[in-house]
Amino acid sequence: MIEIKGITKTYDSIVAVSDLSLTVEPGRIFGFLGPNGAGKTTAIRMLMNIIIPDQGSILFDGKMQRPPSNKIGYLPEERGLYQKISVFETLQYFAHLRDVAHANDLIKSYLHRFDLGSRLQSKVSELSKGNQQKLQFINTILHDPQFIILDEPFSGLDPVNQLLLKEILEEKKQAGKIIIFSSHQMDQVEKLCDDVALINRGQLVTAGKLSSILKSEGVQRLQVTPEKESDLKHSCFSEFQTEQKNGSILIEMGQHSKQDIIALLNKSMDLKSVRVAEQGLEEIFIHLVKGSQS
Amino acid sequence: MNAWKIAWFEYRRRIRSKWFIIGTFGMPILILVISLGTGYLAGSGAGIETKHFGLIDETSQFGKQLVDVLDQRFAGKESAPFDIAVATGSFQSLQAQYDALVEEKTLDGYFVIPADFVTNASIRNYSRSSATIRSTDIIEAELKELLIKEKALKLDLSDEVLNQIFFDVNVAHFEIGSSEERETEELIADYIAPFIFMFLLFLGIFTGGQLLLRAVLEERSSRVIEVLLSTVSYNELMGGKILGLGLLGLTQSGIYLIVAFFAGSYYDLSILTPAIGLLYFTYFILGYLLYAGIYIGVGALFDSEQEAQQAIQIITFIAIIPMVLWTLVIENPNSTLVNVLSYIPLVTPFFMMIKIALGETSIFQILTTIILMMISVYGSIRLAAKVFRTGILLYGKRITLPEIYRWIKA
Repeated sequence: MIEIKGITKTYDSIVAVSDLSLTVEPGRIFGFLGPNGAGKTTAIRMLMNIIIPDQGSILFDGKMQRPPSNKIGYLPEERGLYQKISVFETLQYFAHLRDVAHANDLIKSYLHRFDLGSRLQSKVSELSKGNQQKLQFINTILHDPQFIILDEPFSGLDPVNQLLLKEILEEKKQAGKIIIFSSHQMDQVEKLCDDVALINRGQLVTAGKLSSILKSEGVQRLQVTPEKESDLKHSCFSEFQTEQKNGSILIEMGQHSKQDIIALLNKSMDLKSVRVAEQGLEEIFIHLVKGSQS
Repeated sequence: MNAWKIAWFEYRRRIRSKWFIIGTFGMPILILVISLGTGYLAGSGAGIETKHFGLIDETSQFGKQLVDVLDQRFAGKESAPFDIAVATGSFQSLQAQYDALVEEKTLDGYFVIPADFVTNASIRNYSRSSATIRSTDIIEAELKELLIKEKALKLDLSDEVLNQIFFDVNVAHFEIGSSEERETEELIADYIAPFIFMFLLFLGIFTGGQLLLRAVLEERSSRVIEVLLSTVSYNELMGGKILGLGLLGLTQSGIYLIVAFFAGSYYDLSILTPAIGLLYFTYFILGYLLYAGIYIGVGALFDSEQEAQQAIQIITFIAIIPMVLWTLVIENPNSTLVNVLSYIPLVTPFFMMIKIALGETSIFQILTTIILMMISVYGSIRLAAKVFRTGILLYGKRITLPEIYRWIKA
């Protein structure tokens, strides 16, 4: 378990992260969300002990001491590889630093799995951005760390490789590893995470189980499509918070029940269809970020 | 342990690179080719244009004599630096004609030996530019000798007496306690060897320093540093780099010293003794570590190599002092200035190396400079560690001197 307790980091007058507290549990995937410049990378660097927080503490399995390097896998945001040495040497060097046993076989099997088997001797600079990201990811998990910390792991990957990465993260989750990753791609987070935390301008906006956040933060709306398009502007909608969308109208349910709203509308017009529309994480994200800024 | 792994990685990937091989073997070959090549060119007279001078001789005597002695002087050479066409007559009558010849560039200039030359010992030179100045020295020397001979003849001295008056002095060189006359090669080696040791030291220390700077900048700009720091500690990383590139420098120096040893023994010269070799490595290690601290510190502060190189230029400028002053040190190894400079840590290894190679130092001086260097290295590495720890992860931020001061104080 990773417990982050009230960490704060200030650069000159800019507060990068302010009083952030989170708990990341084993066997679950934790998504760390926020718009660009929200403080995700700073928080992750503090987690990695690369930056020392001004205040607060971080506990790994209840201990203040950071676990040894072979227990942590860290993927930094963008790049993070030597450009002029070969793919194999890169992985060999880091495996050596982390005392990985039988490293060569392991390296070959991972490269094979990521379809990089034929690029063993290629220089890193000769790889595409996506392939470099794959190499970087292999480097992060090669030593089978207990703590896996990934900063924007999906950037630059095509859908096939995104799927492969998810597959591996699922395996690691099953094995009881502690996984935390940052992202601003909500669809990835929604499909993969068990828990999420959203930060904006260095401050925690919300955190918890993904399912409960979707339920509690997501506004329930009815998507109503009238028979006649002219009814979209009917005066009976003025009672509600509404939004027009492709020939239908979205009504925020608020205090009203679904039945009440339908009964009210049926008095004024014929309805073609009615369905409950749940907000996705992306909409919640935008809504919360805007809310926290105003 | 991790520091050794990092050191080995840095060492291995660089020693195999073609630039290390080209640099290590290419540099001495290049220096050799340039020094031998320029020597050959200077001796061959290539690149020197023969100048054409006119000479108006009002004495009707010295002009012809001068041309004769100059012919003798230049006889063995492929091309003479200048030739002279003599005309007898008065300056007044010939001036306009000669001025015109210089104007139209048929002549580079002309000389006038006035009628009263024997009494006044003075001639005149007319030209467009300074191109004649070097030639004037030769003409002056030859005319002086001609004039002395002329005056001696007037005194009616015999040939025997004349031969006694005109002679060349020969200096024979001996080493103390040896009755064998030293050859010119030996003398040149004595003069050049200290410079070569200093130059190799300079090359080794700054090659290592530059590589260190580049290694830090590479990891910083590629963010490899973050992955590394998630794996090893700051001190292991910095120590490993310094160690690895230092070993590379030692390898390079080792190769050079072996070459120097064999080159020396080929010419039967003992320029490299075990003591010199040992002190060379001692000053190399101390000098390298001192500069390593500086280079690592600077590397941790800048985002681009260009900015870092500009900052490092100031330091390199100081280190160039021995390269400029080496002749002074060789000729006056125990002057106050040289002794003072020997105790400035940034240049101590270079000055001391010259003095050691010359045999012009004392055990006291060697020990005190080594202690001074050790203290400086300690300070340099400690400061570098503080700057490295704080600065290495601050990207895209211009760091001010007060900030660095704060880190160091922290």
